[in-house]
Amino acid sequence: MATEATGAPAGATPPQGGNQTTAAPVNPATTTPANPAQLTPAQLKAKAKADKAARRAQVKETKAVVAAADAAKTTVDAKGNKGKGKQDGPQSQSKTSPQHRASVSGRRPSTLAVEKDVRSGIPECFSHIPMAKRIPTAQAHKDVHPAVLLVGQQMATFAIKDSIARLEATLLAFRKVIGSYETPKGNSLSRHFVPHVLNPQIEYLTECRPMCYSMGNAIRLLKAKVNDFDIDTPEEEAKEGLLETIDLFINERITLAEFVIARNAAKQINNGDVILTYGRHRLVEKTFLLAKKNGQLFDVSIIDDPYDRGGQELASSLQQVGIRVFYSPNLGGLRANVERATNVLLGTEAIFANGSLHAAAGTADIAVAATNASKKVIVLCETINFDRERVSVDALTYNEIDPEQNTSESFRLLFDTTRDKYITGVITEFESGTGNSPAQAILALLRKQEDPTAIA
Amino acid sequence: MAPSQASYAPSLGKLLKSLNGQTLEASIESLIYLLKRRQIKGDDCADATAHLLRQVVAKSKWSDVDQLLTRVQNVGSRLAQAAPHEPTIGNIVRRVMGLIRDEASEDRNADDFGSESVEDIQTLSVNAPQPPKPAPFTSRPPTLATVASFHASKAKSMFNLLSVADTLDSPATGASTPMSQAQPTSVSALRSEVLDGINEIMDEISQADDQIASFAEVQIQPGDFVLAYLPSRTVERFLVKASARRRFTIFIASLEPPQASSSNDPYAALRKKLNAGGVKMVSIASNGLMAYMSRVNKVIFSAKAVYQNGGLLVDSGASVAAQAAHAYAKPVIALGGVFKFCPEDPSDEIAGETGDSSSYVSYADGSKVDALEVENTVADYVPPELVDVYLTNLGPQTRHHLASIMADHYKPEDVGFSLIPGEV
Repeated sequence: MATEATGAPAGATPPQGGNQTTAAPVNPATTTPANPAQLTPAQLKAKAKADKAARRAQVKETKAVVAAADAAKTTVDAKGNKGKGKQDGPQSQSKTSPQHRASVSGRRPSTLAVEKDVRSGIPECFSHIPMAKRIPTAQAHKDVHPAVLLVGQQMATFAIKDSIARLEATLLAFRKVIGSYETPKGNSLSRHFVPHVLNPQIEYLTECRPMCYSMGNAIRLLKAKVNDFDIDTPEEEAKEGLLETIDLFINERITLAEFVIARNAAKQINNGDVILTYGRHRLVEKTFLLAKKNGQLFDVSIIDDPYDRGGQELASSLQQVGIRVFYSPNLGGLRANVERATNVLLGTEAIFANGSLHAAAGTADIAVAATNASKKVIVLCETINFDRERVSVDALTYNEIDPEQNTSESFRLLFDTTRDKYITGVITEFESGTGNSPAQAILALLRKQEDPTAIA
Repeated sequence: MAPSQASYAPSLGKLLKSLNGQTLEASIESLIYLLKRRQIKGDDCADATAHLLRQVVAKSKWSDVDQLLTRVQNVGSRLAQAAPHEPTIGNIVRRVMGLIRDEASEDRNADDFGSESVEDIQTLSVNAPQPPKPAPFTSRPPTLATVASFHASKAKSMFNLLSVADTLDSPATGASTPMSQAQPTSVSALRSEVLDGINEIMDEISQADDQIASFAEVQIQPGDFVLAYLPSRTVERFLVKASARRRFTIFIASLEPPQASSSNDPYAALRKKLNAGGVKMVSIASNGLMAYMSRVNKVIFSAKAVYQNGGLLVDSGASVAAQAAHAYAKPVIALGGVFKFCPEDPSDEIAGETGDSSSYVSYADGSKVDALEVENTVADYVPPELVDVYLTNLGPQTRHHLASIMADHYKPEDVGFSLIPGEV
């Protein structure tokens, strides 16, 4: 089985790389007969020692291949400079992030081999779901900007993990990329920047961890902005324009949004309420602190995620300002917690076009329990986290595997999908004042507001 | 939790070994301590209770049925109070008391009539005149009276004991009284019959898992994705049995990540057995289960107790699994022997029971210890509407059939037993 696993991608590569003449010498390196032969019995026996040896062998192999691949790329790039925009992959990738992986690994067969090994424990029925992975900086594409390299590492290790933090870090890194960009002679920024500079950064980030939907939205807007520039816009002016766009974006869609949402949500908290929340979400925490500052007297009941334990941090930050906190370490006390609560306040990673939440695994269980007990379920979400293209009715359509929990025995999904019927209302920075608009209404507004720019 | 099974099993074994060598009171005390320390829990409680009641019947001095019933009841309520979170203890006590009543009436009637069938009718006609059948409340006053009179007589001589029993023999004292007419000569016969009956209950408990497992093949189809929540021994046996004939995938779910100290897989043995049968087993390390439900075909967990309304007492978190299954309209199968059927209504106290919080907040962190109200729920309640099948050693049951099973196994006069305080 192991031979098949390692053999298949290598065998599949030639047709993909067929138009890249230089990709051909890369393949023999992966299929060097000695290596898979060593691998197979080792993996079959699955003995720790043998496994370790196999891993070492693979790392060695990878390094060799990467060297070869890098060599290959330089030639491709050289070609790309002559005949423009040779890489079709990246452009299509940036539109639909979950598909990045496939084309990326097509470009670099070696990563697929390593990935197969890491992913070998994943049950067949979840094998379509992507997983974050640490890429040694040495293996990254040479065009990746150091700032982006750093952000990529932070994302792969989940040092930066929630959607808005990732978005902000990405935008700030892109600011540096733009700052240090110089248009090559005979090229225009509006034609050269996206395919040759921006796309490799996006690709790398996606490889580290599948993009979140806010990143997808932001990148789409950024690309639209670049496309807006006339072909002979002076470089400095274009760069200024892009930097301004990013700054405005961070101010409006992140900083201001957070403030407005917390303000609107805090109005929903009344004296004597017991608010149930799950884990730790920035917006929810802001809301609690603001409501307390506004003088509301309420209790908070936190159900924590035992695989994250963010709830403990939330608990101590709330307790410092004098909010009474009930803390449940896991969903075990869900029934009692829901019964005690007056309403439920949840944060989310994203909201899909059909109004489903894409949020930390466990959120759906809480929303269902609260709905069954006829409690209000209010979701806080910035509009940048709305995905207007994707629709999801179950958690296996769009998800990520938790790399920390991925062993041959165990398995964990990072997110789950909460259908809109389990949500009473969504509070965004949009509908100021009304906390109970369904996600669909906000989506409709967003469509109206953003579509012109999106098409351009 | 599963990993601790290995650690408490020996203490039950030790207790059972020591039963013969110890005085009865010492055995009772040591079982109470084990129950209080939760070194015996789950299915073992039923087993231990049956063993101990066997000792009560065999060792204690009694000269008529009422005395025996009182003895069993007293010991039973002491055990039940030692572990109020284990309703099966009360179930076994009720079963044994019902058994004693049956044997006693059989004895007595056997003198009057020859055949068993007539005796059955006789029992019915004896019981019928006692007016209201839903008995917990009507049966309480007489049993209380027996307890009280027993205590009153305790200081007196053996002769007085008998005479107390005689004074009880008035129509006003309720269902239990006619049996006190049992002749002293039949005591040894009754004793051996009751002991046989308890042995049968013990057999029933020990065979329940196998009997339940024999229905595995019907319930699990090839290609299924089965979610087993915190598999108990019952569930493990069920899955292993199914794996002999079916190729399917098992998701094992629990609320908490495995303890950091024991890095090895708590279900390694089960995994090995299942893999041998060609069944894939995947541990789902997740708090919520909604994410996986679209893939799952059915959810299986074992009940700690089945209440008369059809609700279940379960391990913490099983209701999350049941609720997720319900949201996706997937069937929920609860496994549990009939000895777990508890003729009571669910109690909020037991279902909301909270446990040790020390593993969640480090005591080194003083501010957190002061501030947090940690609620680590260890037991959980699944409302009846979330359960689709009750799979017992008597086969699969529906909610509507539970009442008749309860009626088959418990005497109405014993239903309210745990309400009576033990020795005062």
